[in-house]
Amino acid sequence: MNNIKIIFLSIFAIAMTANAFQSVTAKASQEPWTEHQLLAPADLAKALNDPKSPQPIIYSIGPQAIIKNSIDIGPAQEKGNLKKLKQQLNKLPKDANIVIYCGCCPFDKCPNIRPAFGLLNEMGFKKHKLLNLPHNLKVDWIDKGYPITN
Amino acid sequence: MKKIILIATILCLHLSLVFSQSQDLNIGTIAPDIRLPNLKGDTVTLSSLRGKIVLIDFWASWCAPCLKEQPKLAELYKKYKDSVFTVGKGFEIYGVSLDSKKTSWKSIIKKMNINWTQVSDLKFWVSPVTKKYNLQGLPFNVLIDGNGVIIAKNLHGVKLEQAIDKILI
Repeated sequence: MNNIKIIFLSIFAIAMTANAFQSVTAKASQEPWTEHQLLAPADLAKALNDPKSPQPIIYSIGPQAIIKNSIDIGPAQEKGNLKKLKQQLNKLPKDANIVIYCGCCPFDKCPNIRPAFGLLNEMGFKKHKLLNLPHNLKVDWIDKGYPITN
Repeated sequence: MKKIILIATILCLHLSLVFSQSQDLNIGTIAPDIRLPNLKGDTVTLSSLRGKIVLIDFWASWCAPCLKEQPKLAELYKKYKDSVFTVGKGFEIYGVSLDSKKTSWKSIIKKMNINWTQVSDLKFWVSPVTKKYNLQGLPFNVLIDGNGVIIAKNLHGVKLEQAIDKILI
């Protein structure tokens, strides 16, 4: 009787673990980026403040290229801007260090980051990152005193 | 003893500083004045609207949730424009855009038929007004009475309508 109990409990535990794992992967797969493809603002600011360190190519795919040395593409939700981004990316090797950012709104409301990051994935880039601005450019970048364009 | 007095003084100074900062946008205080140009380039001050109930609407053409609520604002504008309130006569919306490109700002105003006051310095998130009103995100709004006193902050949809309804005569 005890053995049956142990077997039943084991099956139950395995089922629960599998269920939890499935929900975690399902949640993660909702976004075109993975957790390790999110770049902390402090890390980008550190690189920008140290010209001797390798500099990534930074694209603004939102309303304004306010971050120092970033290239203004415009909101990536507009087809014309996405095309412009593609033209820029065509010139780069697939292992280029690329960072994209928007910062208009919280991630869940931003219409620009998904089409842009999806394009980088489709084009086969290997070292592309999304700047982690969960609130917006003001709170997560400007207010922290990180470098901006004049 | 001297040490205690010194610590107490520092604490008092700190508290008064914190208090004075948080007072800025408190309900019941006067909303800081705003002086910004409209689409034509003419300066329109917030204080020039004294006497009316004013909704200061912070928004931008690139802010999807802001655009989503513009039809509701149009509805409220139409409904209360000529109403009489306990502390004010008439209702105006003072739209402050955080756009950076004039063409985007202008075209969205035209596209959405926005017919209330619109101002912007086109400085995006680095506009001084963001500091003055301690903006942390968009949309954000402040409702003020005819004397410029803050009645409510960051109310949207039905809650905003109820707040305006409350002060109708």
